[in-house]
Amino acid sequence: MSMSFAGETAIVGIGATEFSKCSGRSTLRLAVECSDAAIQDAGLLPEQIDGMVLFTVEDNHEIDVARSLGIKELKHFSRIHHSGGAACGTIHQAAMAVHSGACDYCLVFRAFNERSEMRYGAGVQDRAPAPTPMEVDFGWSSPFGLLTPAAWVAMFATRYMHEYGATSEDFGRVAVACRRHAANNPAAFFYQKPITLEEHQQSRWIVKPLHLFDCCQESDGGQAMVVTTLERARDLPQPTAVIAAAAQGSGEDQQMMKSYYRDNISGIPEMGLCARQLWEDSGLRPDDIQTAVLYDHFTPLVLPQLEEFGFCPRGEAKNFILDGNIELGGRLPINTHGGQLGEAYIHGVNGIAEGVRQVRGSSVNQVKDMQNVLVTAATAVPTSALILSRDAH
Amino acid sequence: MVDADKTSLVARLRASIGVAGRPFVARDAVNQPMIRHWCDAMADHNPVYTDPDFATKSAHGGIVAPPAMLNAWTMSGLGRPQSDSDDAAGSVYAALDEAGYTSVVATNSEHEYLRYLRPGDELTAVQVVSEVSDEKTTALGTGLFVTTRTEYRTQADELVGHMLFRILKFKPGTGRAAQPDSEEAQPAQRMRRPRPGISRDTRFFWDGLEAGELRIQRCEGCSALHHPPMVRCPACGSYDLGYQVSTGRGVVYSFVEPCHPRIPAFDYPYVVGLIELEEGTRLITNVVDIDPDKVEVGMPVELTMQKPDPELTLPMFRPRCPRRRETTLRFEEVAVGAELAPCPIPISRTLIVAAAIASRDYQDVHHDPALAVERGSPDIFMNILTTSGLCARYVSDWAGPDALLRKLSIRLGAPNYPGDTMTMWGSVLSATNQGGRGQVELALRGYNHIGDHVTGTVELELPSGGGEK
Ligand SMILES: [Zn+2]
Repeated sequence: MSMSFAGETAIVGIGATEFSKCSGRSTLRLAVECSDAAIQDAGLLPEQIDGMVLFTVEDNHEIDVARSLGIKELKHFSRIHHSGGAACGTIHQAAMAVHSGACDYCLVFRAFNERSEMRYGAGVQDRAPAPTPMEVDFGWSSPFGLLTPAAWVAMFATRYMHEYGATSEDFGRVAVACRRHAANNPAAFFYQKPITLEEHQQSRWIVKPLHLFDCCQESDGGQAMVVTTLERARDLPQPTAVIAAAAQGSGEDQQMMKSYYRDNISGIPEMGLCARQLWEDSGLRPDDIQTAVLYDHFTPLVLPQLEEFGFCPRGEAKNFILDGNIELGGRLPINTHGGQLGEAYIHGVNGIAEGVRQVRGSSVNQVKDMQNVLVTAATAVPTSALILSRDAH
Repeated sequence: MVDADKTSLVARLRASIGVAGRPFVARDAVNQPMIRHWCDAMADHNPVYTDPDFATKSAHGGIVAPPAMLNAWTMSGLGRPQSDSDDAAGSVYAALDEAGYTSVVATNSEHEYLRYLRPGDELTAVQVVSEVSDEKTTALGTGLFVTTRTEYRTQADELVGHMLFRILKFKPGTGRAAQPDSEEAQPAQRMRRPRPGISRDTRFFWDGLEAGELRIQRCEGCSALHHPPMVRCPACGSYDLGYQVSTGRGVVYSFVEPCHPRIPAFDYPYVVGLIELEEGTRLITNVVDIDPDKVEVGMPVELTMQKPDPELTLPMFRPRCPRRRETTLRFEEVAVGAELAPCPIPISRTLIVAAAIASRDYQDVHHDPALAVERGSPDIFMNILTTSGLCARYVSDWAGPDALLRKLSIRLGAPNYPGDTMTMWGSVLSATNQGGRGQVELALRGYNHIGDHVTGTVELELPSGGGEK
């Protein structure tokens, strides 16, 4: 049974700060700036915003952002767990909220100084032991020096390489494509800075088998958007980006970043669960998708995403990539904004904004005859995904 | 000593080059008890050395001595000088002792085996000094390298083997090892590894490590195993969860090598492995005692409990030593470039002492810690005959009981001290068939946590062609 909001809601405004390594401003300032821009882009006034959905890991409080923006009353506010896995989940929640009538115009944002203030890449270090669920979980890995997101993902990568014969160069082609796309994007941190496969191979090891250029950036910045019903969207100035479907997924024996205990760890079952829901709710098939924004915190997990959504058979993503399919002009250009490898790491919310631009026809790397774009959230955690479509109306 | 004195010392020593020493007759004929002691110490279980029935049916037709024992037979024994000071080599060593180069380490040994020795063979060794180096500054101290060549003949005057042997005679207390190391001196200040968070539900696992056990949660209702632990068995619904002790055997399911950022609590390089235990569960751990570049998915591993600091016991895994081949590898099965499975050998104090004595080497540095320290070493260390014996065992365990070792050339580097682990590794350098005999040359490497203890080559003969023995 399809979800009742499928195709009934839309993203009507997007806004972002600049993306940098040091914003020089508070995260609250970033949150308010990007939200302000998104509300203006939607042609709305702050007082029309009456809902807010954020990441659990978002440091800013809804009420602080509301005060500065001049949002008066909030009728719905909720948060989504699991770091970058929440990205499309916030839109999923906002869509349900506006469709149900819990609120009319729902704001979603993610803002942080992830590079200049709180670096995730530093990983988990020297934690004091305590019997909290998080500490117990880290207890299985941290004493052995498996401490960083890159290391957690690298464990999947080694196994994937072993099972399917993928190589570091196959991962590198993802980075090269993203950086090439970023090179055309003035908003990208790596604007006009493409890399070659050789440079990828020469870049220093972070966690073998991952090179530096397999890892997304660490960024400062904020990205916001506004969700409302399709009916209201049609009265607003921007071309409508219809939320054809949105879904969350957590798989069997799911763990945070370390679902290493399943029979097979070379796929992403939680993303497969999202894929099944999206295809069913939207009535679309892989052939109907012209471009995709696939979460790229680390290149290796882009490959099984292509497989989970059925763009290629399992284990064959390396050939799909080698044949140029993920590049501009290819079968499925991915991360046309440059991804988190090339544009910025804003926990995937900037990828949703690129999806909106592709629907509007305003991407710097606009894909021709764009009808439907797939956007995914973080891999290796409970995750989410969505499809945005042009309004046929 | 001024330079002129050094020059005259070297010149005096070099006068002995090429002069044949006095023949040294082995005190005992090749015999089964000494062979057995050697095999026990080296854990060499090739039955051609000790099992008469097996040996009779082997290529040897009867019991033979491990070839690496070659120079053990002519060691002088306890309380007897290895060489007379009026002998050529003996006079060189005595002159060096007198000049203050009183410490000694063996650095190279090259054995050539013309035939395997049999019980009853009475060996006579004749040693010739072939080289005396200039004074060198080494990590161990300031000293000179002395190289000798020795011929081994039986009572029938049959030439059965050669040895080239190189030692460093050095002045104790002049090397880097003797200097106080500022990093080593402050281990207490070292950042410790992250501690695990332990809950009521997971305490059994960590308690198990203290008891020397790797425990896997087991449902008392349906016997299903779970890791990481749960509070209710999802298979049968039971809350009655106990544990079973793992065999500690498994394979590498996946692995990574963290490089950046560097965390002070860890020694780099290190490998984090995801191990699939025989029981079927997986766990995250460190793969140790192996060069990170040699770790592979599917590699068999075994448990080794480690204490990174006094308050933390962690289950780690090291390569499982390959099984000794019971049938001999045929030449046709050997591929150039192929690698031998790594084999970690724990360097216990017992191994060092037992093997030194089995090789009749009573140098105090191989059994007396206090005297070893006095001579500038941090502890006792393995003698070169043991290293030869372990290399020969590693190769013959890989090749099988009828493989014939022809040459064993080794060079020593980082010493094997008690408590370390030496991991043996090898690869096939060449394989040629000469008149129906398969000649194979291997590169060998044995590394410990300081560095390469031994590097070298081995030449051996393998049966070749149409299936006959
Ligand atoms: Zn059960």
